[in-house]
Amino acid sequence: MEESVRILFLPENRYIMAKPGENLLKAAMNADVHINASCGGSGSCGKCRVVIEKGEVKREPNLKLSEADIAKGYALACQTTAWSDLEVRIPLESRIGDKRIFERKVPEPVYGHLLSATDWEERLPEWELDPATQKIHIVMDPPTLDDNTSDADRVKRSLSMEAGMKDVVIDYPVLQRLPNMLRQSGWDVTVTVLDQGEELRAVRIEQGDTTARQSGIAIDVGTTTISAELIDLKTGEVVASASDYNAQVAFGEDVITRIIYATKGTGLAKLQSVVVGTIWNLIKTLVEKADIEYCNITHIVVAGNTTMTHLLLGLNPKYIREEPYIPSATSFPWIKASDIGLRIAAGVYLYAIPCVASYVGGDITAGVLASGIFNTDKMTLYIDIGTNGEMVLGNKDWLLACSCSAGPAFEGGGVRHGMRATRGAIEQVRINKSNYEPMIITVDHHKPIGICGSGLIDTLAELFLAGIINEKGKFNLDLPTDRVRKTDTGAEYVLVWAEDSATRRDIVITEVDIDNLMRAKAAVYAGIEVLLSSVDLDVSAIDELLIAGAFGRYLEIDKAVTLGLLPDIGYEKIKFVGNGSLLGAHLAALSREMLSKTKEIANTMTYLELSMNPSFMEKYVSALFIPHTHLDDFPRVREQLEEVRREQRMAGQA
Amino acid sequence: MAYNLPVETAKGKIREVTIGTGEKSLKVGGENVLPFHLWEGEMPNRPIIAAEVSDEVEELPPALEKVLGDVKNDPVAWAKKAQDEWGVDAIALVLTSTDPKATDAPPEQAAETVAKVADAVNIPVFVYGTEDLDKDAEVMKAVASKVEGKNVVLGPAKEENHKTIGAAAIGYKQDVAAMTPIDVNLAKQLNILLTNLGMEADKLIIDPTTGALGYGLEYTYSVMERLKIAALYQDDTMTQMPLLANIGFQSWKTKEAKSSEEEYPQWGDPEKRGIMWETITAASLLMAGADILILRHPESIKLIKQLIGDLSS
Repeated sequence: MEESVRILFLPENRYIMAKPGENLLKAAMNADVHINASCGGSGSCGKCRVVIEKGEVKREPNLKLSEADIAKGYALACQTTAWSDLEVRIPLESRIGDKRIFERKVPEPVYGHLLSATDWEERLPEWELDPATQKIHIVMDPPTLDDNTSDADRVKRSLSMEAGMKDVVIDYPVLQRLPNMLRQSGWDVTVTVLDQGEELRAVRIEQGDTTARQSGIAIDVGTTTISAELIDLKTGEVVASASDYNAQVAFGEDVITRIIYATKGTGLAKLQSVVVGTIWNLIKTLVEKADIEYCNITHIVVAGNTTMTHLLLGLNPKYIREEPYIPSATSFPWIKASDIGLRIAAGVYLYAIPCVASYVGGDITAGVLASGIFNTDKMTLYIDIGTNGEMVLGNKDWLLACSCSAGPAFEGGGVRHGMRATRGAIEQVRINKSNYEPMIITVDHHKPIGICGSGLIDTLAELFLAGIINEKGKFNLDLPTDRVRKTDTGAEYVLVWAEDSATRRDIVITEVDIDNLMRAKAAVYAGIEVLLSSVDLDVSAIDELLIAGAFGRYLEIDKAVTLGLLPDIGYEKIKFVGNGSLLGAHLAALSREMLSKTKEIANTMTYLELSMNPSFMEKYVSALFIPHTHLDDFPRVREQLEEVRREQRMAGQA
Repeated sequence: MAYNLPVETAKGKIREVTIGTGEKSLKVGGENVLPFHLWEGEMPNRPIIAAEVSDEVEELPPALEKVLGDVKNDPVAWAKKAQDEWGVDAIALVLTSTDPKATDAPPEQAAETVAKVADAVNIPVFVYGTEDLDKDAEVMKAVASKVEGKNVVLGPAKEENHKTIGAAAIGYKQDVAAMTPIDVNLAKQLNILLTNLGMEADKLIIDPTTGALGYGLEYTYSVMERLKIAALYQDDTMTQMPLLANIGFQSWKTKEAKSSEEEYPQWGDPEKRGIMWETITAASLLMAGADILILRHPESIKLIKQLIGDLSS
C-alpha cells in the first residue's frame, strides 16, 4: 500500500489524505478549504499564512516569513510540503471572510448620493415589463381527418392566432415531448416562447395553464463575488436575492491568474464547473427563499467582465491576456443553461450581456444600461474600480470606454495587511493631526485583522493630511510618534498595535504599500484624463460622476478626492450606483427592449486602448503625486490643505 | 503691405532668480517669451554661461588638457582664469573630490574649497556634488553653512535628498538647483516638495538632466521646451524656474568628444570635434530654453557667448 499522510485543516475540521511531499495549498484546494492566495502559489504575496499545529513540514525559504513567525509555527501554504500527518490551522487573516458580509446594509454615504428607485424611473423612462420569455396558454382543437396538420404545426398555428407569434421554431426537446404532452393535457398547454431577437423559439411545454408562475434570474458574475436575484416576471419584483464568493477565488484572485489556470490542462472545464457550482447554490438559495418551483424559472441573464463571461460559457480566455488582447467573442447567443452544466429545468436559456473588449466587459455594458447614461444629455463619467479601473465617458450621443490596470491594491492585494472588506477589516480611518494617533472602525466592529480598500484610501488621505507622508507618498521620519518607524524594508506607519489586533501582529501600512496604492490611483486618474482629453474635454466638463462596484460603495468620496483618485468636481456631482452590473442584468431580464439596448450599448461604445495612448504615461506620472502635480485642478483640495496646514502651524506654535 | 510677424503673448513669466550677493550678484530668468522670441516679449536677462571648475581632476581629453593643464589642480586659479580670461558670468564648482566611489573627501574640506573659490572671484558660484544622494546631502549642508550669506546655488537636490539640501539652503539663505530625470511632471513635483519645505520659489532652479548630442539631447530639448511652454503659456507657477543645462561634463564624456585621432582618423581633428560637440549641444539647449549653460572649453564658451549676443541683438 502506498504511504500517505492525513492533513487536517482547522477550524474547518476537514481532512484529506495525500502523498508525502504534498503542497499544503494544493491539499487545501483538494479538501475544498479556502486559504487566501493571490499570487497563484508563487510565494510572492505572503497571504497564505497557516499555522502548523502538529506534524512535520518542509518550508521553502521565503522573505515573507520571519524567523519569529516560523518559531510560532507559521508557514506559507504554497511554499510548504507535508511530510507526516498534520494539523494545520488557517488563521483569521488567511480565511476568505465571513459570508454574513453579504447581508450587510449599505451605509448612506456622507458625501455623494446613493441612487434610489425613483432615480431609476427618471433615468429610464421608456422601460416596461416585457421579458424575453413569454408563457402562452393555448387550447387547441384535437386533430381530425379533415384537420390533419401535424402536432407541431398545430401548436404553431395556435401561437400565431393567440399571440400573434409567427414562425415560432420549436426546440428539439419540446418537439420530442409534443405528441404525448398534447394528448395527455387534452390539448391544453402552456408554451414558453423565447424571443431571441432573430427568431422566436418554443423552449418549453407544460400541461394546463402555468402562465401565472414565471420567474427570471439576474446574475452578476464578479471576479470575487457573485450576486443573484430572483425576479417575478409577472410583477417585475425582486422576490429574493443572494450573494456568495465566486468559488473560482481558490484558483487565483484576479482575472489574469484565472486565465493562466484556464489555459493549463483541463483548467477551463474546472473553472467553469466551479463557477456554475456557485451559481447553482445561489439559485437553490433563491428558490428556497422565495418558495417557488425550479420550473417557474424561464430564463437567466448574466453580466460579467469579459474573462468571467468566457469562463462561465467555457470559452477559451487565453488570448484576452496576450497582445493584441483579443476575446473569443464579445456578444453571445442565447444558450441553453444546461449546455454550461446549469440544469435548472427544461428549456431554461441564458443570455450573457455583451462585452465591449477584453477589459471592458458585460458588467460595464450592464452598468451603462442601468445608470441610464445612454439616455441622458449630461456628460457622464461612469467608473467601476476594482483590480481594473473600468470607465465610460459619454451621454446619449456617444460612449467612450477604457480600462486601466490599477492592480489589486484597492482590493487589498499587494498591500502587506490588505484584505477584502469582510469582518475585522479596517474600513474607516482618521488620524489626529497633532499627535498622529489613529481612530479606526472595522467592518462589524470586530477586532482588526487587516485593511480593506476603503480603509486604505482613508489611511492614505489621512496620513497625507496629517503630514505623515508627503505628496510623493514618502514618510516623514522626523515626527514625534513611535507609530512611524523605519524597518529593513522601508518606513511604515502602525495603525494597530499587536495587542489590539485580532492577528496579534502590528497592522501597518508600509512605504511599499503606499507606492502600490499611488500607482493604482494614478492609473485610474490618468485613465480618466485620457478619456476626457481624447474628446478634448477636461474634468470640468463632467456633469455627473457615477461610481459603481463593491469598492466604490464604501468609498469615502472626500478622501478619494483628497488623494486624487477621483476628480475634484464637487461632491454634489458624485453618485453611487451600487452593483451596476446586477442592476443591468436585472433590467435586461425584465425587458426585451432593455436587453436589445445592451447590444446597442456594447456596439456604440468605442474602446480606447490605453497601452497605445502616447499621453497616458505622462498623465500617469503627473498623477503619481497627492493629490496631483497640477494642484490647480484640485481647487477644493487645495483649500482644504491650506486650512489644515494653517491649523497645524498654529498648533505647533501654541 | 508690410508683413507682420504673428505675436503670441504669454500669460506667465519665468521667475527672476538672484545668484550671489551685492556686487557679485546677477539675475537669471525673468523672460516672458520663448527663447529669443524678442518680438513677443522680453528677456531682461540673457542666458548666462558658467564655467565648470572641478576640485579634483583625473584625466582630461587632450583638447581640454591644452587649455586647462596649468590650472586643473588648482580650482581657485581655474576659476580666476575663467573669470578673467574667458569672461564667464559664473563659476560652476563641481566637488568631484567628495565622490564616495573615489577620493571620498570629507564635507568640511570640500566646503573649504568652495569658500576659497567664492572669495577669489567676483562672479556668482554654483556648487555641485557628485550625485551621490547621501554624500551630496552632507556636503551641501557643510557648504551651505561655510559660505553663509554668499547666496550660492547648491545642487543637485534630488527627490531623495531634497529635504536635507533644502533645509540647509533655507537655513543659510542659498539657492538650490533641483534635479529630476528628464520629466516635466517630476521637475514640477520636486519644486512643489521644496516649496512646501519652506523654500522660496524664486530661489529655485530646475536642472532637468542634460543629455549631450547623440546621448539624449532630444529628450532634454523636449523637456526644456515643454517646461517653458507650461511656465509661459499655462502660467504654471511651479515650472516657472530658470532652467540649467549641465553641458560641459555631459558632452566631454562622450566617445565622440574625447577619442583621439589615432582611434578614429575618419572623425577628423579631435580638438575641433570636442569643442563642436559641446557647442552644438549648448546651442541646441539655448534654443530649447536653457537660462544657465555650464560649459568647459573656453572656445565653446566664446562661441556660445557670441551666439547669445547675436540672438539678443
